[in-house]
Amino acid sequence: MSAEQVNLTIDGRDISVPAGTSVWDAARALGIDIPALCHDPRLRPVGACRLCVVDTGQRNLTAACVRPCEDGMQVVTDSADVERHRRMLTLMLLSEQPAESAREATTGDDMLYALARRYGIEAVDLPDGAEGCPRGADQSSPVIAVDHQACILCDRCIRGCDEIQHNNVMTRTGKGYTARIAFDLDAAMAESTCVSCGECVAVCPTGALTNKAVHGLWLRRGEGDGA
Amino acid sequence: MRLLKALMALQESSGAVTDASLRELARAENVPLYRLQGLRSFYPVFRKEPGAPVQVQVCRDVVCRMAGGADHCHQVRAALSDRQDVEVTEVSCLGLCDQAPATAINEHPVQGTAARIRACATGDQPLPDAPMPDQAERGLTDPYRAAEEHYGSVRDLIDAGSPDAVIQALKDAGLRGLGGAAFPTGMKWDFTRRAPGDEKYVICNADESEPGTFKDRVILESHAHLVVEGMLIGAWVIGARRGIVYLRHEYGRARRALETAIGEAYRTGALGESVFGSGFAFDLEVFVSPGGYIMGEETALLEALEDRRGEPRNKPPFPTNAGLYGKPTLINNVETFAAVPAICRHGADWWAAQGAGDYKGLKFVSVSGDVARPGVHCVPWGTTARQVLERCGGMADGRALKAFSPGGASTAFLPADRLDTPLDFDAMQEAGSALGTGAMVFVAEHRDLLDVTLAQVRFFRNESCGKCVPCRIGSHKAVEMVEQVRAGAAPTTSVSLVELHQTLAKTSICGLGQVALLPLVDALRTFPDDSSLQALKGGQA
Repeated sequence: MSAEQVNLTIDGRDISVPAGTSVWDAARALGIDIPALCHDPRLRPVGACRLCVVDTGQRNLTAACVRPCEDGMQVVTDSADVERHRRMLTLMLLSEQPAESAREATTGDDMLYALARRYGIEAVDLPDGAEGCPRGADQSSPVIAVDHQACILCDRCIRGCDEIQHNNVMTRTGKGYTARIAFDLDAAMAESTCVSCGECVAVCPTGALTNKAVHGLWLRRGEGDGA
Repeated sequence: MRLLKALMALQESSGAVTDASLRELARAENVPLYRLQGLRSFYPVFRKEPGAPVQVQVCRDVVCRMAGGADHCHQVRAALSDRQDVEVTEVSCLGLCDQAPATAINEHPVQGTAARIRACATGDQPLPDAPMPDQAERGLTDPYRAAEEHYGSVRDLIDAGSPDAVIQALKDAGLRGLGGAAFPTGMKWDFTRRAPGDEKYVICNADESEPGTFKDRVILESHAHLVVEGMLIGAWVIGARRGIVYLRHEYGRARRALETAIGEAYRTGALGESVFGSGFAFDLEVFVSPGGYIMGEETALLEALEDRRGEPRNKPPFPTNAGLYGKPTLINNVETFAAVPAICRHGADWWAAQGAGDYKGLKFVSVSGDVARPGVHCVPWGTTARQVLERCGGMADGRALKAFSPGGASTAFLPADRLDTPLDFDAMQEAGSALGTGAMVFVAEHRDLLDVTLAQVRFFRNESCGKCVPCRIGSHKAVEMVEQVRAGAAPTTSVSLVELHQTLAKTSICGLGQVALLPLVDALRTFPDDSSLQALKGGQA
């Protein structure tokens, strides 16, 4: 049984995809790269970061990662307007980032910083929300560092923990501007049911969840400490 | 609903939802701890530790701020600072804008200054009875003269009506969603009726929480049976067996009225396994929201009913096709459902004739702010804002009008020269605003318009769910930017509020983010000469 096909154009190019395919995936099939921070092809899309917004001729822009393709749809992924809003969203996120990204400093693959470079943002022209790192950090785990200030609430770690690893440890806690990620009933990572599998670190796009250096870390208490 | 009901039961019985109680619940329900933490921390009704025995919640939003002064909340706090048994918190709009400045003491509404709040909170004065709604004024859409006649419309429909005829009548009547979005009601019912699936739901959105809006509270308190019947007719038309009224937490008296009406409907056979012996089954229950303005966004509401954090869904799909548990779901506002029995009973022509001139139907408006007699009025569509103001005794203290918001916090303020605009979705849009929920807030000449519009923006910031970036961060930045300017500090940004607003309007998931900065940004355009707004103009606007 073949799935129903829908025909649409993306940036003026025709494409036919199975019904239910997201605009983001269809664009990718055409080699069109729509930026995204919260979306990863391995994860269920949530449409939270809004960087993948595209113009489908509606009143508002729509998030490509969660928008199913429709017959006759005409999608523009890179208009000046779309790019202007993406740049503003990047700016908003950067204004909340700590001075240094732990990911940029280690593996160098901070996706938010990559976007900043893409949009040529050198100075963050919005009130600084990171001064004094009000969102705090959780250094309790011997292997994973949590920097809440670098967290953009993209939900990737939560879905990675839940849907890839089925460890069921993480959530968003609180609401609105002060919301952040948490473990169990908002326990310290080391005191939670986290098994340190590393999935959250692997899927995190920023410096919020990074690996700690393990040099000199004793794997078992007493080993090598002379006891 | 099961988990949230369990959390609410814990909160009610022990004054808190503690870690220990959540561990027990996680075991009993076989759900991971993180899920319960996500719920407990999202909904404002829940607290981790019990608080003081007397809870005083002071409304911080625009109408109460106008009535009580900018430092009203601070004054209440100061007046009770010596009392260990009293805890004062500032909360979003309580839906008591006709009793401003409003406070809830252990969920009991009290109007007045800090001194009166202290007297009531400490027991020096008894808690007053809230004023009862005026039955005659609000009865215009009630087709029944006596309780024995209730549910006559649905009884007739079941005997000899057709679902398609009801849909046609709603279309002919020109009824549009009265919760603010103005979606054509007949079309929504039609979509839901035609959506494939045997399992469907009817939900009444009674989570009225937008500053300036309190008409649904009054309708529920005085005419709950019309809401029940409207839902019943909706269920019969689309083929649903189950309905839920999603009611805002603070509406205690509305809840009691609704539960009385539902009990009565079960007793008389209007609800239950076989409605009036027809074999058509419909069960209806009230779900009390654990709090938060965002829950009035219909997909956030659905998330709550499915025991998740009330964060709006991406649309499409729309609830008409994929709503509660992914099933087709008819969601309408209290006032919309309440209009249905009269339209069915008297016909679309009768409904249309109730309007003024070419306008069709009746509209409940919530009137508050600087008016002599704030309250809810049922007026013909097409009544002008000026006529509404006159009906409320004109401006308070004989002051001149500076601005009015025709539809609630999410609609732009209009200048006094638009006072002759008729109450109508299209007419208000042409005038430069929107009818929204019909929450008319009148603002007198002496008011600081920046303070008034900033209060609206603060409300949206405070009520943002935090799911999407533009709303979560953008609403916060906007408030910060304006507060910097007001404090006389040098602006730390060259980004303008207009640019910020455009990104929020274009990229936010739901209506909250889309309108969060609108009242303020629009005022800069509509009131170019207003002195209070001048400060924002130097490179800022």
